Amino acid sequence: MAAQAKQDAIPRAREGSPWTGLWAVVLKEMADHLTSTRMRILEILILLTAVGAVYAAMLNIRSTIGRDPFLFLKLFTTSREPLPAFVGFLVFLVPLIAIALGFDAINGEFSRRTMSRLLAQPIYRDALLMGKFLAGFFTLALVFTAIWLLIIGMGIIGLGLPPGGEEVARLLIFLVATIFYGGFWLALAMLFSVRFRQAATAALASLATWLFFTVFWSMLVGLIAQTLRPVRIGLPQEIIAQTELQIALSRLSPNTLYTEILLALLNPALRSMGLVLPIQWEGAILGSPLPLSQSVLLIWPQLTGLIAVTILLFALAYVLFQRQEIRA
Amino acid sequence: MRRLLAISFLVALVVLAVGVIGTVSAQGPGDDLVLFTQYPSQVVERGKTISFKLNLRTQENAQTVRLEMKDIPEGWTATFRGGGNVIKAVYVQPDEDARVDLRLEPPADVESGTYRFVVAARGENSRVELPLELTMEEKLPARLSLSTELPTLKGSPTTTFRYSVKLANEGDEPLDVALLADAPAPFLVTFKLSGKEVTSLPLEANESKNLSVEIKSLASNLAANAYPITIRAQGGDTEASLQLTAEVTGQPDLAVTAPNGRLSGEAIAGKESPLQVIIRNTGTAPAYNVELNATEPSGWSVEFDPKVIAEVPVGEEVEVTAKIRPAEKAIAGDYMVTIRANPAEGGSESADFRITVRTSTLWGVVGIALIAVAVAVVAAAVLRFGRR
Repeated sequence: MAAQAKQDAIPRAREGSPWTGLWAVVLKEMADHLTSTRMRILEILILLTAVGAVYAAMLNIRSTIGRDPFLFLKLFTTSREPLPAFVGFLVFLVPLIAIALGFDAINGEFSRRTMSRLLAQPIYRDALLMGKFLAGFFTLALVFTAIWLLIIGMGIIGLGLPPGGEEVARLLIFLVATIFYGGFWLALAMLFSVRFRQAATAALASLATWLFFTVFWSMLVGLIAQTLRPVRIGLPQEIIAQTELQIALSRLSPNTLYTEILLALLNPALRSMGLVLPIQWEGAILGSPLPLSQSVLLIWPQLTGLIAVTILLFALAYVLFQRQEIRA
Repeated sequence: MRRLLAISFLVALVVLAVGVIGTVSAQGPGDDLVLFTQYPSQVVERGKTISFKLNLRTQENAQTVRLEMKDIPEGWTATFRGGGNVIKAVYVQPDEDARVDLRLEPPADVESGTYRFVVAARGENSRVELPLELTMEEKLPARLSLSTELPTLKGSPTTTFRYSVKLANEGDEPLDVALLADAPAPFLVTFKLSGKEVTSLPLEANESKNLSVEIKSLASNLAANAYPITIRAQGGDTEASLQLTAEVTGQPDLAVTAPNGRLSGEAIAGKESPLQVIIRNTGTAPAYNVELNATEPSGWSVEFDPKVIAEVPVGEEVEVTAKIRPAEKAIAGDYMVTIRANPAEGGSESADFRITVRTSTLWGVVGIALIAVAVAVVAAAVLRFGRR
């Protein structure tokens, strides 16, 4: 209460920059992340899947596809039994890494009783939270960029030709989307690490959310759509209404957003995400690739939505953290 | 009187008896020689040497028979031939005909007409004569003729002109006939006989054959004109020719294309965008009232400016603007739009244009705004909850 009264007394303008000490926190945290055993394990895991999936894809490409204008994109999307394609791995590996990076960011400091010591330094709370988030984010970016380069390098060696300009552009946007998809789960994990004092609770909450979106959401969406927009007679309008609701609801899941981004970027022939009526296909030349700008336009809502949600989650974590009481 | 009658009867009887004895004696030696030929009167070509086959026959007496010409027109030479040599006499045996060739050679300047000859055969006791008749006629010269009932045909530049031509050998000698044609440059002439292409053929004397002459232009953009084509038949030293006429009428030939030949364009969903279309006439006649229309996906609209081209002159092109408006909800990507030009006369032409539809970038701005709002929320939170 005293703090509340004090805050009210102080005008809204704050003193000092929230950036002070930010980069010190970022560098220190990144160093911690990159040397932690947890990260090593995850890195080895993702490296193995990358090498395995891409090697299998390469074998498949050599034997079946031949000359394709988007050969390098196929590297990411071609699967070969029993391995799924690399992007299939990414959809559930990226959240795992991000959660691993973020679930004990704040409550870990509390449980180690280092928070008050940390804040005794000339570092604002803003800088601490922002620094921890950015460190996790940069670590994700570093790991994914390394793997991305590794795959392209393997592709150049294995296929014997360089990627085209548009392929590189598509893959870059794909990389950005992957990093932000990781960013979403990182922000979520940090939110939970701010909210819950026990690191295990935060980890469990994050994993529960991940499991919910990965497994249960699609089932739930089907149920909700069937309940809200039932198909009574079987009219086309009813079926369309139900399908549209189902698509709209499933887009609430970051997994769906990320999957759609992947599909549009790595499969240039994909023209539409939603429901397409046969009348809209009339006269269309199927299989012709969309220009990059159009593919990006197609997934622009998904991409910007993902980025915006990541930022908003961070804002929520920030507000929660700022309002917390920290005692030594 | 009665006595006179008796005497005369006796005389008559004697005469008769003598006659009977005489007849019998004529069958004796010297009287039984026969000279004959199967075709004593012949018609031959003027100036040609001819042989008569003479037969000599005797009933009983084998004898030597001398042969000679009793009557021969002036300038003619006659020779008897047998066993490969010129002979003067022939030995005739009973029951076996002796054959002799009489060869008559006319003088170089012999005229047409009928000539009479008499062959005389003198045996040991008898002499027989055989008149022969030879008509010299002007020989029909070797002559070919080409004829057709329809020498002028009309058609478009792409038509195959088929003429039915009768080739006849009107001479008396068989000929090997070579078929030739003089045609102007883009035309190709082929001769066909019962479906097979021929360049030469044998023709018996007085034989005729129906040929099919096919004339085809190799260039499709032939100017409208009447093209003379001469076909010739050559055999031996005679020749026949026939002039055929291929009357080519012009026809417009339209091509639908774009200014740089690229049949593609771009359009934004729900917005009208212009596409330059070129209508080119590569035919041989101007195209009038060329109407333009398009087959577009449903929900689209394609309008032309102008809608109808009054005239597309030969070898020239007209630029038309097609205003393409894709459907409001068209999905981005490539679509096929067929643009067709229908002239008042002649076939219509079309071309498929590939239209790349782009969608509006309005949502892009919304997305950016969304991120901006999120950043603003963070900034506001920092300002509101920032602590010293």
